[in-house]
Amino acid sequence: MGKKVKVAGVELKDKISSLIYYFPCRAQPKKKKKVDVKKEQAQKERMKKKLKKLEKAAPELIPIEDFITPLKYSESSRMRSLPALSPQESERRVLLLKKWCLFKQKQDEAEKKAIKGLVESQQEALRELRLESEELYQAAVRRDEGLFPFQRDGPTYTPPLPGYDPPEGKCIDITKVYTQ
Amino acid sequence: MAAPLAPGSARWVCSARWVCSARWACSAAAERPWRLFGAMCLLRLPRITQPLEKEEEEVAALMEQLELEKSHYSDHEIRKLEEEEQLRRKKESLYDEDEARGQTVIMAQDLEEKWEQKFLRFKAAPRITDADKSNDRKSLNRKLDSNLMLLVKQKIGNQELWLLPQVEWQPGETLRSTAERAMATFLGDHIQAKVLGNAPYGIYKYKFPRAIRTENNVGAKVFFFKAYLQSSDLSQAELKADYLWVTKKELGDYLKSEYLKKVNRFLLDL
Repeated sequence: MGKKVKVAGVELKDKISSLIYYFPCRAQPKKKKKVDVKKEQAQKERMKKKLKKLEKAAPELIPIEDFITPLKYSESSRMRSLPALSPQESERRVLLLKKWCLFKQKQDEAEKKAIKGLVESQQEALRELRLESEELYQAAVRRDEGLFPFQRDGPTYTPPLPGYDPPEGKCIDITKVYTQ
Repeated sequence: MAAPLAPGSARWVCSARWVCSARWACSAAAERPWRLFGAMCLLRLPRITQPLEKEEEEVAALMEQLELEKSHYSDHEIRKLEEEEQLRRKKESLYDEDEARGQTVIMAQDLEEKWEQKFLRFKAAPRITDADKSNDRKSLNRKLDSNLMLLVKQKIGNQELWLLPQVEWQPGETLRSTAERAMATFLGDHIQAKVLGNAPYGIYKYKFPRAIRTENNVGAKVFFFKAYLQSSDLSQAELKADYLWVTKKELGDYLKSEYLKKVNRFLLDL
């Protein structure tokens, strides 16, 4: 139009070019806006549904590696070839297991009897203590908080060797750790 | 446990033998004719396993055999078998040059022999120690597979007796602390022992001889407590009296019969 327009300290020739300065336009106008928005929304909903399905499904169980035998150990080439058991041998085994059964039963009975004796002795002591003084009895019958957790290393086959220097070496733990 | 009840209702709480109301009304210190003692049975737990019985050994051997029969070959065994095959074929001169080139330098048999040698070179500590052989009853290294108990020589009345360490109860402390004090008097303060609970394990009741017996002083009750010795190092302990570490079977050599009977009741056979 010939008018001079001053925009942001820059002189421009006419209004149209000033408009283009402010609002850069393309040659082809955008037609895909609404369709894009709809597509995006649909995508988001699909993602949400997938997430919900995954969450609803039960968490994967962590495999116990000890219970899964690797397949290479079930090959037939690995089978042992031993001579069959003689009838005397199987007879001996059965009789030995019967003797063992009896042995273990006696051992168990002896243990139970010993424990019963211990409990009786303690009950007698507590009865006598009660006859003496009630406060001492109450103090004795109270739970001992410092007793548990109680930890102790069990006995070994040979006693520890004094001044034993164990061989040097690093132990690298390669157990697989699974997370749910 | 219920809190101490009023004197009137205490009758059915206590045992039926005693008439309790008078007892409850009086203070604790006044008319108890029995003197109380707290004794500590300090146990050193076993350090090695007990030897197996005959049946146990037989069954252990049987179990090992069964395991062997049910098992499959391991990698090491397969390698050993293959190498034996190769050796056999070599002897019969049926092998090719190619096989000889791929042969390993170390055979599985050599490895096994090397391991065997290494095992034989290792000397473990003996299960029967010097203290066992010399029957030194004062040392803790004796009889490593059973429990050892502390016995001290104490003067009771005018007699010197072997007893579990005991000390008279003072009013104002629990019986457990009496027993701990007994342990501390005989072994010093730096003992790491785990007392098993607040309750006594056994009781030994005895009446004083007629000469000393008075109305207020009929006899004594000794309450036994059990503790496990945690540290095996007693070099810091200042032992003030004659002491011994004995097993349950050897207790009979030192304790009087009545006392021994009561003590045996709360000790397990080990």
